[in-house]
Amino acid sequence: MQGIEHYLKSILSFLPGLFLCVVLPFSVNAQTDTAKKLNEVKVKTSPIPQVQSMAPIQQISANAFDQYGAFDVAGAIRNFSGVNIKDYGGIGGLKTVSVRGLGANHTAVLYDGILVSDAENGQIDLSKFNLNNVQDITLFNGQPATICMPARSFTAASILSIRTIKPALTANKPYQVTAGIKAGSFGLIEPYLQWQQRINNNWSFIVNSYFEDANGRYKYQSSGNGSSSTRDRLNSDISARQVDGALYWTKNDSNKFNLHINYYDSERGLPGAVILYNANTSRERLWNRDFFMQAGYERIWASGLHLFLNTKLSQNYLRYLNPDFLNEQHLLDQRFTQREVYQSAALAYHFAPNWEVSYSTDVAVNDLNVLFNYPYPLFPHPTRLTMLNVLASNLTLGKLQLEGSLLNTNITETVKAGRAAPARNNFSPTLLAAFKPFENSGFQLRAFYKYIFRNPTFDDLYYGGIGNPNLKPEFTNQFDLGATYSKALNGFIDYIALTADAYYSHVTNKIVFIPKDAYNGSIQNFGKVDIKGIDISLKTQTKSISGYKGSLSLNYSYLQALNVTDPTSSIYLNQLPYTPKNILAFNAGIDHGHIGLYFNQVISSSRYYTNDNLPYDYIPGYAISDASFVYHTVLNNKPLRASIGVNNLFDKSYFVVQSYPMPGRSLRLSIQITI
Amino acid sequence: MKQIKLSYLLIAITFVVTLASCHKDKVIPKTNNPTATRAGLYVLNQGGFGSNNSTLTYYDYTTKQLTADLFSTANGGSKIGDTGNDVEIYGSKMYIVVNNSNRVDVVNAKTGKLIKQDSVHQCRSVAFYKGNAFITSYDGNVAVMDTTTLSISKYITVGRNPEQLVVSNDKLYVANSGGLSFGNPDKTVSVIDLTSLAETKKITVTANPVSLAADTYGNVYVISLGDFASVQGGITVIDNKTDAVKSQFAPSLGYNIPIAAQGDYVYYVTADNKIAVYNAKTQTAAQANFITDGTVITTPYTLAADALSGEIFVTDAKDYSSNGTLYAFDKTGKLEYSIVVGINPGKIAFVNK
Repeated sequence: MQGIEHYLKSILSFLPGLFLCVVLPFSVNAQTDTAKKLNEVKVKTSPIPQVQSMAPIQQISANAFDQYGAFDVAGAIRNFSGVNIKDYGGIGGLKTVSVRGLGANHTAVLYDGILVSDAENGQIDLSKFNLNNVQDITLFNGQPATICMPARSFTAASILSIRTIKPALTANKPYQVTAGIKAGSFGLIEPYLQWQQRINNNWSFIVNSYFEDANGRYKYQSSGNGSSSTRDRLNSDISARQVDGALYWTKNDSNKFNLHINYYDSERGLPGAVILYNANTSRERLWNRDFFMQAGYERIWASGLHLFLNTKLSQNYLRYLNPDFLNEQHLLDQRFTQREVYQSAALAYHFAPNWEVSYSTDVAVNDLNVLFNYPYPLFPHPTRLTMLNVLASNLTLGKLQLEGSLLNTNITETVKAGRAAPARNNFSPTLLAAFKPFENSGFQLRAFYKYIFRNPTFDDLYYGGIGNPNLKPEFTNQFDLGATYSKALNGFIDYIALTADAYYSHVTNKIVFIPKDAYNGSIQNFGKVDIKGIDISLKTQTKSISGYKGSLSLNYSYLQALNVTDPTSSIYLNQLPYTPKNILAFNAGIDHGHIGLYFNQVISSSRYYTNDNLPYDYIPGYAISDASFVYHTVLNNKPLRASIGVNNLFDKSYFVVQSYPMPGRSLRLSIQITI
Repeated sequence: MKQIKLSYLLIAITFVVTLASCHKDKVIPKTNNPTATRAGLYVLNQGGFGSNNSTLTYYDYTTKQLTADLFSTANGGSKIGDTGNDVEIYGSKMYIVVNNSNRVDVVNAKTGKLIKQDSVHQCRSVAFYKGNAFITSYDGNVAVMDTTTLSISKYITVGRNPEQLVVSNDKLYVANSGGLSFGNPDKTVSVIDLTSLAETKKITVTANPVSLAADTYGNVYVISLGDFASVQGGITVIDNKTDAVKSQFAPSLGYNIPIAAQGDYVYYVTADNKIAVYNAKTQTAAQANFITDGTVITTPYTLAADALSGEIFVTDAKDYSSNGTLYAFDKTGKLEYSIVVGINPGKIAFVNK
C-alpha cells in the first residue's frame, strides 16, 4: 500500500516534466535545420582505458555504472585505488571521499569542469550526485594533464571530475528521449527523464530531471549490551528532485559554448548515531536547495592560441532542524545560505608543437548568511574573495613529457561582526613527468610532486563558539612515482592495462576539531601526518568468443597514514582513525548478446576509530559483494535496458563509521527506454 | 585466506600496542600513602560523543593492577554506553550516570557488577542525601531515586540544563547552566530543601554555572562558563546558611570547569592549565599552581581530592580523542604516580576495601 502511494506521488510530481517534454518539441521542430551536410568525424575509440598519464587517472563511464552496482557517484568510484569512501549508511546518508589518506576537503569535485564549492564546510556529499545524467567520472591524483583550464582545477590534492552527457544527435533524428525508473529496497522510487534535442547545426540542448523518494529504512544488527538484536534504522528517509539543463553551441571542436542550469532540492531525515541503550529515534531533518548556473566558452585558433572562459553563479541553502534540542525553545532551527560568484579565464599558446604555456586567472566571491531561531549576535556573516593565478607549461622532449605549474592563491575575508581571518597569500608548485623508455612497448614511467593546501572553511573559522579565525591552511606535500603498462593484444585477451604507483605525502597544520566537552570545543591547527601508500590497478578484457566476453578490473591500495604530531605522545606513529591499511576491490563480468552478469567485491581491512589504535576501538574489516544483471535489447527500434542489482549480496553486518550501521542486503531494479 | 590475514594483522597490532603500553604504563609504586581502607579508584572515561565508548578504569592500590574497563569485564562484555558523565559511590553501590545513553547504571561498588539500569533523560550528575540519589536531567529536572528500591520516585523541576549538584548544610545546590541556549544561558543555582524535596530558591550567579564544590566552612563554590561573548566565566561563592552570594571573582579560567574542595583548600583549573589553590578559611588565593615538581598537564579534565590520604588527583584529556592520563599528587603537589586511563577521563571515585 505504502509502495503504491509512493509510486503515485512520484508519478504526480513528475507530470510537469512530462508535459514540458510533450509541448516543447513542436516549437523546436518548427525551426528549420539549415545544415546541409554534417561534418562528422568518426573517432575510432579504443576500449583500452587511458592510463598513460603523468599523474594517475582512474575513470568510470556511464555504461559501467550498472556493472559496479552504483547508485550514486560515491558508489561509482568506490573501487578506485586510493579511494576510501566515508559512508554513514543508508540511501540518504552522507558519503564523502578521502583520497590517499587526506581528508575530504582535499578532493575538489568538478561538475563539467567547474568546481562544486562549499565554502561553509568544504566536504562535498557525493550521495547528492545522481548518475542519471553522468557521462563519466574521473579521478585525477594531483591534477589533470591539460593545462588550459580554470585555475581552480589546480587547487586540490586530487580532482574528482564529473562530466554530464552531451547531446550527439544527427539531423535525421534530431531528438532523443530517455525515460526510466529505479525502484527497490529502502522504499525507493526514482523516475527519471532525459530529453536531448538538436536545434540546428550548431545548437542543441539536454534536460535531465529525476525525482527520488525513499523511506530509507533498513535493518541492522545492534550489539554492545552483551547480546545482539535486529533493529530498524528509522528517520532515514529522503525525498529529492533535480533538474539539470544544458544548452550547447558548437561551431566545431575548436569553437564552442555551453550554458548549464542545475537545481537540486531535497529533504531528508538524519538518523544520527546509534546510541547504546537509547532507543529514542532521532527527529533531526535536513533540507538542501542548491541552484547553480554556469557557462563556458572555448576557442582554439589555428595559430595555436587557446582561450577558455568559465563563469558560475550559485546559491546553496541548507536548513537543519532538531525538534528535540534542549534549549529554551526546545528547538534548533538553523538556516544557512551561501552564495558564489565565479569568473575564470585561461589562455594558452603553443610556442611549438611540443611546447605549450598557459595562464589562468580566477576570481571568486563567496559569502555565508545564517539565520538561527535564537539571537546569535556573534555570527560574522563572512565574505571571502579568492584570487587565483596559475602559470603552467608542458613540454614533450622525445620520450620525455614534462609539465609544471605554479599557483598563486590570494584570499581576503571580511566579516560583519567579530574578527576576520587574516589575508593569505600562497604559492604552490606542481611538477609532473612521464618517460617512455621503449617505443611502442606500452610501458611508461611517471612521477609527480605537488605542494598544495586546503584553506579553512567558514565553519572552521567562524562557527559559533568553536570557530577559530587564526587557523592556518592545512598543507600537503605529495610525491608519486609509478609505472603504467597498457597493450592491445591479439590472443584470448583483448587488452591489458596495468598501473602501479607508490606515494608519500606529508601533512602539516592539520585542521582538527578539539572538543572541550560534549557541548563545546574549538578548531585548531594541530598535527602532522606522514602518509605512505601503494596503488595498483589492473583492467583487462577478453576477446569475444562465441559471443561471450569477459571483463576484469582489480584495484588494490595500501595506505599507512601515521600521526607524527608529537614524538612524546602515546599516539605518535599510530595509524589515523578510519584509515584501513588495505583495500582490495575487484569487478568481474561476462557479456553475452543481450545480457551481462557482473560481480563486484570490496574488501577493507580493519580500522580504529580513535587515535589510540587499541583493541577497544577496533572496527573489524569487511568484505562486501554486489551482483548485477543487465539486459538490453531493441524494441521497435527503441533501445531498452533493464537491470537488477543486489548490494551487500551476502547480507553482511558492518560499519564504515562507528555507531552508523550499514544496510544489509538490498535490491534495486531499473528499466529505461530510449525513444 | 583473508580471515587469516586480518587476524594476523590484529594480533600483530595488539602485540605492538601491548608492548608499547607496557612501556608507557609503567606504574611507579606508591610509598608514602598507607591508606588502609582504600581498595582503589575508578576513573569514568566519557569516550567520544556518539561513539558508545565510555569506559570505567579501575586501579587497584594493592596489586597496582589496571583494568581498562571494569564495567565490561564485570558484566560479560556489556558496554557502559555513550558519554558516562558522572560516577559516585554511596554505601555499597556505585552510580554511573551515562548522559547520551539516558541511563543510570547502579552497580556493586566493589565488583562493578550491574544491579539495575534506570532511565533518566539526558542525565548529567548525581549526589546523595539520606537514602536518596539526586540526578540532574538536562531537560530541567532533578530525578530523585530511592537508593534501596533503586527506582525514581519524583522529579523536581529546576532551571535550564542542570549540570552538577552538591549537598551542603542539608540542602541540595543545583547548577542551572542553560548551556544549550547559546547567547542566553541560565544564571542560577537552585536550592532544594531535602525534607520537602522541592526547590525553595534560585540564587543568581555568573552566567552558565556548571560545576560545584562545598567546603567545610559553609561555602558553596560555583564555576560558570559565562556566555562566550560579553560575560566572562568565573567563580561565585555562596553562603550555605543565608544562601546569599558572598563573593564573585573572575580568574582566567579558559572554560576549565574542574573544582574540588579538601580541608582548608579549594582547587580549580586556570586558563594556563595550572591547578590554582584557594584558601577556604581565609577566602584568599593561596597558590597559582598546586603542582610543585614541574609536572605539566596538557588538558586538566577533572580534579579529585582524597580526604583520607590528602592526595590530589588530576586527569589529563590531552587531545580529547586519545587515551588520557591520571596523575596522583601528594598534598605538597609532588607527583606520586601516573596511569593510563581512557578517552576524556571526566570523573574519579574512591572505593574502600
